[in-house]
Amino acid sequence: MSHQTGVSDESGELLTQLRDSVRQVIEGTGLLGAEDHIWKPSVELGWLLNAVPEELDGLGLGNTGTHAIHLELGKGLSGAPYLPATLAIDALCQSTLSDKSSWLERLTGGELVTAPLADGDLTLDDSQNLDGTLTAVQSADIASHVLAWTNNAEQLLIIALDQSGLEWQERKTWDETRRFYDVNLNALPLAKQTRLAQGSQAKDIVTRLLAQRDFALAADAVGGATALLAMTVDHLQTRVQFRRPLAMFQALKHRCADMKALTAASEAMLFDALHSAAPEQKATAAKHLACTSFAKVAEESLQLHGGIGMAAEHPCHLFLKRALLNVHLGRGGDMYEQLIAEAFLTGT
Amino acid sequence: MTAETETLRAETRAWLSRNTPAEWRQAMTNAEQERFVEVQKDWFGKLVEAGYATPHWPEGWPGGGRSLAEQKVIFEEVARADAPRLILYFVALYHAACTLFECGSDAQRDKYLPGILKGEIWCQGFSEPNAGSDLASLKTRAERKGDKYIINGQKTWSTMAQYADRCLLLARTDKSGVPQAGLTYLLLDMKSKGVSVRPISQITGDDEFAEIFFDDVEVSIDDRVGEEGAGWAVAQATLASERGLTLVELTQRMRYGLSMLAQTMKDQQRTSDSAILRDLGALIPKVDAACALADQYLQKRISDTEQAGDASIVKLYYAQTLREFVALGQRISGLEGQYHAGFMRGATQETGNWTLDFMNSYNWSIAGGSNEIQRNIIAERMLGMPREPKNWQLAEGQS
Repeated sequence: MSHQTGVSDESGELLTQLRDSVRQVIEGTGLLGAEDHIWKPSVELGWLLNAVPEELDGLGLGNTGTHAIHLELGKGLSGAPYLPATLAIDALCQSTLSDKSSWLERLTGGELVTAPLADGDLTLDDSQNLDGTLTAVQSADIASHVLAWTNNAEQLLIIALDQSGLEWQERKTWDETRRFYDVNLNALPLAKQTRLAQGSQAKDIVTRLLAQRDFALAADAVGGATALLAMTVDHLQTRVQFRRPLAMFQALKHRCADMKALTAASEAMLFDALHSAAPEQKATAAKHLACTSFAKVAEESLQLHGGIGMAAEHPCHLFLKRALLNVHLGRGGDMYEQLIAEAFLTGT
Repeated sequence: MTAETETLRAETRAWLSRNTPAEWRQAMTNAEQERFVEVQKDWFGKLVEAGYATPHWPEGWPGGGRSLAEQKVIFEEVARADAPRLILYFVALYHAACTLFECGSDAQRDKYLPGILKGEIWCQGFSEPNAGSDLASLKTRAERKGDKYIINGQKTWSTMAQYADRCLLLARTDKSGVPQAGLTYLLLDMKSKGVSVRPISQITGDDEFAEIFFDDVEVSIDDRVGEEGAGWAVAQATLASERGLTLVELTQRMRYGLSMLAQTMKDQQRTSDSAILRDLGALIPKVDAACALADQYLQKRISDTEQAGDASIVKLYYAQTLREFVALGQRISGLEGQYHAGFMRGATQETGNWTLDFMNSYNWSIAGGSNEIQRNIIAERMLGMPREPKNWQLAEGQS
């Protein structure tokens, strides 16, 4: 075992290769790379295989691999729907669907099954019809299906996006780095959908998916905060006022040091959670800390950039908007603190 | 985690469950200082006998030769058992011993280390009234006269100096050149003629610190550690000796302390107050993160991949999180928390006596390199930001 990664040396090497491959692509596209300039390589370079276990011919790097990729994508403010795609692939892998392997082949081959990045309100009525809205569904316009689960987590489904009773429309967010859609379901017959699991099996998989979504958002936030802090320090080193670089003023240095501590703490907590005996129990805490810390770093960074931070041409605001949105994705911004506290008090 | 460290963990845990003094916090509340010293001596004796006080000493010494990973296990278990901290002996066991191991002579090791195991108490004479964060500017003089140094000056914030047998003294032998270059490291007998100690009464009611005054105190040149003028480098070794381990213990203690917050919430009937719940929910991930930072920092030391500034991040984040932690306890305890519940000698940072804890939390944001100093280190050594220009001159007559 290696101390750095907590995984075996062989998969450690695989992980390094994977991370380097993401870095290379992101460096090529620069910040805010066009969606398909990142989505295509994530298919072609096998990033999607990361979430697939070895027995299903994947890389089997699990959370550790996903975390490394999300972190790099976060640094580059990637708009590619890598997160929902990996959720759908993981749901498939966990399911007992009979034609699982042909589905997997399609999904790792570039057909997008997207997923909601926030909690929706899907219900199943007495006549076995699905109603409700799936929210924050990323890049639905280029997807064939959407992964969905009912509120009580008893039905886990893959739903085709081109069927009657289903409508989707773009919901433009302040965050310009990703595209989100609402998907409305109106009396959609359950029988016509692809069911991955139901009952307690579905509940277990949904619990796992929620944790993975939290970890992915946390990694995205750590990546974003890391890149933004570097950009901010760079700005302070370059900008001269009162005949000295702003980076020389202690008042500003101390704020950067606090941002560094916040980012390091989020990363340490995420790493610790991913390598703990029961990662799922720590997912909400890791997500909440990383996303609120990123938001704080983004808030401070804009201030430290001064006037140029308010200019649309400067990327500072892109980080801020993505950070603010990340806080509210997943279980919902205000939900996390309550969930974490209640889980703790139940355990004492 | 290896099988050996897990065996050590099980042994340590079993030993602690048999030997940790019961109800020591109650016994230490409003206790006379003599009673505190007695309890510390007793606890120290037990730990030394079992080998848990000296895991960091080299092989060949009782209890010594433990790896950093093993030392970490012991600190974690001490935190888990909520055992008293060895405040009275920490300088002797860590700072004095490690300085002697790293920079002392064989004669000095033979002379002083057995005494430490027998319970001699050491204190640290570094800080001065005008040399805190700017330690290198210290002014206590050590003048060479034949085979002796003559010491004159004043030290302050010396933990438990009123009980100390010996002192690790950093004094100035040369005023010329850069401030760091003129310092010399000496081992001073606190019973020497010309030493006087005055305890500092703290805002908590305790007096863990003292001022030390030196009036023509003689120290033999045999008690100099390292060369004359090399004191700054020796002091760095002293300060580095326990780096990481203390923070592993403190962060673990903070995590266990969360149950005290839960208890206060129950006592104050605030368990369904959603404002309090949210503050608790915001705090828990920070406590977890502080533990993870300390843990990963020590892993870096073990694998020799530590970078400049890493330790500062752990300490800064711990101090900030601790303040939030005790502030929340203080808030939940309401008016009840304002009634004087007695002070507690040798209290750890989370005692459930929240107003006391709040005051005590400043120990970690001021001592051992204040938050402001840690921020400078992080900004300059990790983020590569420049130092402040050094051309400021005090006005005539100021010093």
